[in-house]
Amino acid sequence: MKFKAFLTDNGVNLLEKRFLPALDKMGRICHLYLTRDHAIFLHNLLNGDGVQSIAQFRKEALFDDYRISSQNEDRIAFTIDLALLHRALRSSVSISSTTTTTTITDRLQIKLVKKLPPNSQQPMPFLSFESKGYKSAVIQDVPISKPLSRADVLELQSALDMAQDLPQTLVQVPDLHQLQSFVDRLKHVGDLLNISITQYGDLHLQVSTTLISLGQEFRKLRILGVQADVPPSNQNMSAQSRTEMAIQRGEAMSVQVSMKHFAKSLQCHLAKPDCAFYGIAPQGACLTVIFQFFIPGTRQTDKSISLHCRLPVLDPGS
Amino acid sequence: MSSSAVEPDFPDLVCQLDNVQGMVDALSSVRWKRHQDAVLELSEHGIVLIVEDSGCIQAKVYLKRELFQSYDYRAEGRPRFGVGLGLFVDCLNTFSVPGHSSTIEIRYPGPDMQLLFKSVDSPDACTYAEMRTRIPETISWDYNFEPAGSTPLSFTVESAALKEAIDDLEWPGASIQITLQPDPPCVTFRGEGHGDLQIDFMYYANIDLLMAFQCDRRISYRYKYKFLRATTSNIPSSVIRDNRGSKLTIGRGGMLKVQHLVSVSRSSIQHPHIDSAGYQQPSRIAYIEFFVKPEEEDESTINDS
Repeated sequence: MKFKAFLTDNGVNLLEKRFLPALDKMGRICHLYLTRDHAIFLHNLLNGDGVQSIAQFRKEALFDDYRISSQNEDRIAFTIDLALLHRALRSSVSISSTTTTTTITDRLQIKLVKKLPPNSQQPMPFLSFESKGYKSAVIQDVPISKPLSRADVLELQSALDMAQDLPQTLVQVPDLHQLQSFVDRLKHVGDLLNISITQYGDLHLQVSTTLISLGQEFRKLRILGVQADVPPSNQNMSAQSRTEMAIQRGEAMSVQVSMKHFAKSLQCHLAKPDCAFYGIAPQGACLTVIFQFFIPGTRQTDKSISLHCRLPVLDPGS
Repeated sequence: MSSSAVEPDFPDLVCQLDNVQGMVDALSSVRWKRHQDAVLELSEHGIVLIVEDSGCIQAKVYLKRELFQSYDYRAEGRPRFGVGLGLFVDCLNTFSVPGHSSTIEIRYPGPDMQLLFKSVDSPDACTYAEMRTRIPETISWDYNFEPAGSTPLSFTVESAALKEAIDDLEWPGASIQITLQPDPPCVTFRGEGHGDLQIDFMYYANIDLLMAFQCDRRISYRYKYKFLRATTSNIPSSVIRDNRGSKLTIGRGGMLKVQHLVSVSRSSIQHPHIDSAGYQQPSRIAYIEFFVKPEEEDESTINDS
């Protein structure tokens, strides 16, 4: 089992400034799954509860000179502490930025190693970062779990395949920051959040307790996937009755999720996505959030990076 | 508009407010513990919110009708209802969008006697809330504030300094003695408990701190620290920033009245011309009043008068 690659400047920047801060909010420990073509950070895919998040990078997005080999179709997976990984990356960046004279040799190598930790007889696996400066080299070892067994990797892969199902209808959130600020305030009002998405492009969030029901409805959002024409009677209704009618017509779905999970999924804005879409999986299995990234300077989706979250549904709803 | 006979179901009150954050600030200033029941009273003059604790402290927030963009009041008598203060503030707070001025409509009663809120500025993104109301508990009205004599005993102190002084008195804790004396003109806060701490505000020493002072005889009363603290614990940062004063008056029997003024003017981001002129509509102020009863003890020993 071998893995060795060089992180590109762009890769370091993506991870250090954007993805690791966001992923760390989803949970400190995650799986890092490396295949021939992809590096994937996975949260909560093997244990059921909690927000699942999947950040997938094509190898070129992060690395050059990417070499991987294993008995298991060149696939390696292990768990890693994101805070430690972030710290190692950050200090590597600060080292290389102080040795600016040596731009060519200045590459950050990352590899899988086994080492004997101090005061131990057992060699332990590490993800090792090596930054070579002009006169010195700094090596940082981030402890990782034992690589997953063949069976566990298979399970991870099938969980990953299952998580690729797209909802029929996705609506684009107009302003992620505004939504986050609203949800931050809404958290004080209740713990459970009802979310409805219609095929007319409406997104309706609602907290309902014995004392209060409070909600926000966004209308005429951009739709991906199945859409329907807005019924003419829709205009002068309250948000609640509009949603109810759309559900009765089979043109909307509604689920209940934990407010904590929803707020957590919004932390993905730290990865600076260019747009975000919400959708409800068939049979109300989960609430899916898909973040898209544009190729810098364009409005074209960068297919080499993908990030999406799946929020467990508390009540199957309608 | 048509008469109420034609529209029998017209609600008691429909009003619109364009500075939600100002109202949140004003209401937060009387929020001194987690669970507080509040009573709202509606009238043609505006909305009054009243909270009360342990028969020792009462606070009122006056939201005059001038604070609202529109105020359509149709009730007979003065409708009153109870709400949880915390929930009310948290609910209003969700309507406040940082960096935007947001207008909301408040309506009472809904079909089930709810208090209804909805944002009105954007047709494609609407926030709404329906809050249940309660039949209000009877409020003890023995907070009638009467002047202690012919000359009111009062002083106005910079709000930030008042808050700081009361915060500092936390460590001696328990009960705080407030003394006013005319010669030399001075206000003294004194705490005795785990230790002693005395804070003097000398009138002539620092006019900026103690802005006004009225007292013709020495007077002294003790107040429970926790209630005194409630009067400044949640004073909005806008009050501190605007460098406003808080007015304290001691009435008959030692009843302490603390008054703050909270600005509910439109955000200056949207209306720079108002700010640049340094002009703020005087009507766009919410009045906050606290009434704190003194500790009951043999007053004659403390009171020199």
